[in-house]
Amino acid sequence: MTVIEVTDLQRRYRSRSGVFKRTTRVVEAVRGIDFAVERGELFGLLGPNGAGKTTTIKMLITLLLPSGGAARVLGYDVVEDAREVRRRVGYVFGGDRGLYERLCALDNLRYFAELYAVAPREQAARIGELLELVGLKGHEHERVEGYSRGMRQRLHIARGLLHRPEVLFLDEPSIGIDPVGARELRATVAALVEGGTTVLLTTHYMFEADELCDRIAVIADGRIVAEGTPDELKAGSSAGQVVEVEVYGSAEFALDGLRALRGVTSVIVEVRDQAQVVVVRSGGVGDLTQHVLDALEGVNRGKVTARQPTLEDAYVELVAGA
Amino acid sequence: MTTSLRIFFRGGLTSYRALFTWLSPWILIPTFIVEPVFQVLFFAAVGRTAGVNDNSFYLIGNAVQYAAIPCLFAMSNTIGGERYSQTLSLLLVSPARRTPLFLGRALPVIVNGFACSVVALAVGALALGVTLAPVTWLPLALVVAVCSFACTGLGLVTAGLALRVRETAVLANIVFGVLLIFCGTNVPLSALPGWMAAVGGWLPMTHGIAAARELAGGSRLSDVTGLIAQELGVGLLYIVIGLGLLAFFESESRRRATLEIA
Amino acid sequence: MSVARLLVVGTWLQLKMRARSAFDGVLALVYPLFFATTVFLMFRQGGESGALVGAAVGASVMGVWSAVSTTASTSLQSERRQGTLELLVASPTHFPLIVVPITLSMAIIGLWSLVTTLLWGRLVFGIDVRIDDPAGFVAAALVTVLAIALVGYLLAVSAVRYRGAWAFGTALELPVWLICGFLVPLGQLPSWVRPISWLLPPTWGVSAVKHAAEGSSPWLDITVCVAVAACYAVLATAVCTRLLRSARAAATLSLT
Repeated sequence: MTVIEVTDLQRRYRSRSGVFKRTTRVVEAVRGIDFAVERGELFGLLGPNGAGKTTTIKMLITLLLPSGGAARVLGYDVVEDAREVRRRVGYVFGGDRGLYERLCALDNLRYFAELYAVAPREQAARIGELLELVGLKGHEHERVEGYSRGMRQRLHIARGLLHRPEVLFLDEPSIGIDPVGARELRATVAALVEGGTTVLLTTHYMFEADELCDRIAVIADGRIVAEGTPDELKAGSSAGQVVEVEVYGSAEFALDGLRALRGVTSVIVEVRDQAQVVVVRSGGVGDLTQHVLDALEGVNRGKVTARQPTLEDAYVELVAGA
Repeated sequence: MTTSLRIFFRGGLTSYRALFTWLSPWILIPTFIVEPVFQVLFFAAVGRTAGVNDNSFYLIGNAVQYAAIPCLFAMSNTIGGERYSQTLSLLLVSPARRTPLFLGRALPVIVNGFACSVVALAVGALALGVTLAPVTWLPLALVVAVCSFACTGLGLVTAGLALRVRETAVLANIVFGVLLIFCGTNVPLSALPGWMAAVGGWLPMTHGIAAARELAGGSRLSDVTGLIAQELGVGLLYIVIGLGLLAFFESESRRRATLEIA
Repeated sequence: MSVARLLVVGTWLQLKMRARSAFDGVLALVYPLFFATTVFLMFRQGGESGALVGAAVGASVMGVWSAVSTTASTSLQSERRQGTLELLVASPTHFPLIVVPITLSMAIIGLWSLVTTLLWGRLVFGIDVRIDDPAGFVAAALVTVLAIALVGYLLAVSAVRYRGAWAFGTALELPVWLICGFLVPLGQLPSWVRPISWLLPPTWGVSAVKHAAEGSSPWLDITVCVAVAACYAVLATAVCTRLLRSARAAATLSLT
């Protein structure tokens, strides 16, 4: 059964600036996208900042009206049957906002249990169960203002699950959480999907998407540029090989030389810890390593790695080409 | 010296503009016109019901005292607001000399308080039908300016406390309430219990309001120079205390790490 | 039943939250006392003890209005700032049922300030307020609190997209004290002001409270107060529905 059905969905923002000379600027945040998510699936929406991920989610959870197209969640139209949709979906976003700081975790959960019409008789048990699930048991009487970012995020998740939503929308849930917390979060999400919840997840972290998602849509500049399972996306990548070279000091002058190499599809410089890393992707099958090193003659080099393309490589290529 | 002057003028104005988006008419009109005028009208009406004092008494008292709103809030917010936007530590690690830095922040505040009182006086006089002789206008303006100066001194003290106290708006509101009662704004000092009148003598506004009332009653500027001098003295006293508190809490905050707890 | 429960739980949690804030909790109690003290001193200077008792009753209700007017117009703005506004809107509960507890909690803090002011008058100024009709007084006070909460509801939803809302709300504090008969009899105001006073629920609430204290029947005033406040609630709900629709269209729920 199709749980989320998105047809030619569009959203424009109008922003006005200036006091005297009013200028209206129209931004096309989502330019007509289509996708469908089946029951029990974990669907990932990947894309750079400003690509339209959050806008899409907000239309699906009825916070924003679409400017065009349509979307149905569990068979209900997000515009016409907003209340029916709201009853059945959960929404969790990343970051540390969205909580009542001066209340304890228990009170935060009680309030939202009320708003989501969780039966009074079940509330205490349900809240206890969720506190257990997200590992906040023992902290439920502390005020949220003293919580760490990870604890806040876990409280958010408990809040989003209070009414046992059939569909859960997770908007960059792991942003700003430490690696251990992020791993626990992934385990929680995986367990939810195991239990039959349908999840739509947006994230910047490719390994997260790779590990969790059944299917992924890559969105860039308001359009879906690719869709498929993580393996399909990796296979679709033109990169046959990736060479990464750590460099110290400036390597700018060598980059054009690298780009001119036969088969090279993209050359980018990333900053990791103290070093810069030149990442060269090629579509060819032959070993490129020696050519890359020749082109970097005169640059102070560190570690050199050649590897198979990852989901991130596929993603970078898709987004860069969009 | 020129650096200090630049910090005084430029720095003061910049911080004032950054911390207060008061330049919007949606905030200026309610805060600096509607509220003071209604404070005047409210107490004048209550006074009439209670059968004490005349319109001119309440007009002068409340219009002058209302300058405390910008003086206290703007000054304590120069610290509290920076703490909130987490720029306070950036300011305090800078090598700028503190005295011109904080006094520079006081200058636009004094102008604001002054303008606010003058508008309240003018609009309130029209609404209540109080006539102030044109010869009293200039001396009145001078007294109002001195009151704003003195009250900004008190504001500097609240700014100092804001390095330690988290809720600056609450603090400023409470100080405003104290001034409302103790400065003879609506009840003459002579009708207050002795200890309250004694406290009032050490607060800004008290002597200034008294001087303004004498001027409105027909006295000449030369008759009230004593009161004006006392008001100036009180203001200077608070400025010294305020700068002292700022210096003290700044060094304290380094020791006790209380700065960024917003 | 579930609506009643929602309102009670919502109000209770909002109250808990606000009581922990120095601004909403402490200042809302202390600030009206400064004005009440001034008023008591003025009436004492006037020397009429009967007027002083009337002033104590009037001044005690001032705090209810003060607590609501200064916070209602910013309440939704602060939900937005802390990122909870979207979560509230995304929940299946009708939005008015979420907003009313917010303003009601402030009015209840105001009720506390009503009691504090009466005690302050008694202990510090020795004003012995005899309440001739205690049941009527309690009913009048509660209805006034509810009515002011509903005015707050209208303020809250109207000011949600208005950046200077705090200034607007605070600027309403004194005019309402002036024209709703808290201390100044309506007859003393210019005649053109009177119709405006009649449209404001606090006018009827204050009148009911005063009647009950003096022993005359408060029930007519209570009835009118409820009726006028109900109009505010209906108006606010209409504004609220339109506003939510337009906020979903204009994407202003998450802007700070």
